[in-house]
Amino acid sequence: MHDTPLIGPYYPDDVLAWEQGGPRTAREFLADVWCLAEQLPDRPSVLNFVSSRYAFLVGFAAAILRQQVTLLPQSRAPQTIRRLVGDYPGSYGLTDRGDTIEGVESISIESRESGNSQSFEVPHVPVNQVVAVAFTSGSTGLPMPNAKTWGALTAVAYATGASLGIKDRVSTTVVATVPQQHMFGLEASVMLPVMHGLVMHAGRPFFPADIGSALAEAKGTWILVTTPLHLRACVTDGVKVPPGGLVLSATAPLAWSLAQETERHFQAEVHEIFGFAEAGSVAERRTIDGEQWRPLSGVRVVQDQASCHVHAWYLPNPMRIPDHITTTTQGTFFVHGREADQVNVAGHRVSLGDLNHALLQVDGVQDGVFVVPEEGPGLVTRLMAFVVAPGKRSEEIQSALRTCIAPVFLPRPLICVSCLPRNATGKLPREAVNELARQWLEKEGHGA
Amino acid sequence: MELLRTPQQREQIFKRGCAPVLRSSLEQDLAKLIVQTLKLKIDPATINPEAALFGDGLGLDSIDALELSLAVSQVYGYQLKSSDPEIRTIFSSLRALARAIEKNRMK
Repeated sequence: MHDTPLIGPYYPDDVLAWEQGGPRTAREFLADVWCLAEQLPDRPSVLNFVSSRYAFLVGFAAAILRQQVTLLPQSRAPQTIRRLVGDYPGSYGLTDRGDTIEGVESISIESRESGNSQSFEVPHVPVNQVVAVAFTSGSTGLPMPNAKTWGALTAVAYATGASLGIKDRVSTTVVATVPQQHMFGLEASVMLPVMHGLVMHAGRPFFPADIGSALAEAKGTWILVTTPLHLRACVTDGVKVPPGGLVLSATAPLAWSLAQETERHFQAEVHEIFGFAEAGSVAERRTIDGEQWRPLSGVRVVQDQASCHVHAWYLPNPMRIPDHITTTTQGTFFVHGREADQVNVAGHRVSLGDLNHALLQVDGVQDGVFVVPEEGPGLVTRLMAFVVAPGKRSEEIQSALRTCIAPVFLPRPLICVSCLPRNATGKLPREAVNELARQWLEKEGHGA
Repeated sequence: MELLRTPQQREQIFKRGCAPVLRSSLEQDLAKLIVQTLKLKIDPATINPEAALFGDGLGLDSIDALELSLAVSQVYGYQLKSSDPEIRTIFSSLRALARAIEKNRMK
């Protein structure tokens, strides 16, 4: 097995990242990495919750040099973290800005002295080294680990760059609204710029006005790594951005009309990435050009009888796509929605089985089910839940859920009922649950 | 967005009934805007203006922050920025948000 360089084609004094305080060159970055790598404890795995994208990358790279695996949990809910640390004993945390992780011994990496930055020696990493583990939601209630090798992360970065026509070292700043701790964020906002010698913006602009300022400050042209949610917010708010960049959207389907509005408003091409945590980014399309997805270079999407799999040299085995797919003879494919158990709220994918499992663990809950209501107005459609819990108030159940599931999935509303429409065999037919939700919403609508 | 949920905010308890009341008409309008925008199933008049909006208070999250920022921008012409050093304070309660709107509104 061979090794590949830790960073892309930077000259020592090229700017690698743009922090609030100013630029960090490739030389300074490597010095920061070496310095931190020497100070990390001798442990097998690390939870990198650092919020500065630059400091996150320093931590990630230092962990790689120390052959430590970075764990990427789906959420920071206390129970999730507790279980993760139980599964990966000896894990420690990396944080910044005074942040702490409940129940995990953590190191703050904000005020570290940078080492000697005279030399410029780019370390190499074995392509088969497992550098990260991303977790996905399974229907059993237990998170599923997906090991990511250095070869897989770099291959996806190069393949994405090739598909989008990104050129090495052409002055471009990558700005992202997505967290670097999620697969799409790690691939598109960290690995993509660093493997192509681009500038990585260290912040995470959130409100439309933040996104506007970050893009206005960008050196050279810009790439915005974001979600349909943020694009909708930017277009609605009429935020001004310098023309001529590139928008990369993922995590949830982007409506054709929103893509068109964004292209006109930003004067930029809007591309979407299709992927899932198990395989990483798989395909791309310019949304206004049509619904067909083009696999990234080196990726094949193969239709078997009942399902579709992603094949790529860097994947240990073909990965089953958790959506309904049809392929074309040209090798492209169409996505027809996700499989029944999977739901997506604001770009976060979760298994309903997993949520129901969490609900049934709550003290006092006898029965309960999560429901996906029909789409309504607003940026995001929230989940609902019906719960049988005599003597409990819905606020109490909500508080308990808050400790074990990500905030975005908290049911809104959570409705206490005396029983659920289970059939004779004890099953809960989806139609019966949907009917219950419809009746409830109708009643509420009349009451409002 | 983690910056919206400080431990202090989490400690604040959302009390109905014995809560301080909405004072100005701006606070009352803002309470209605919050309930309407976020489709909350509560009476706007029962929102404690000093209770935390995020975390354990009204239980809002980062997507709500984004939706609320859009509504505030459209109704009052005030664009919220997370780079604003006061952002934590601004989003700490309805009263604080109303104060920031009063100071910065264009409409």
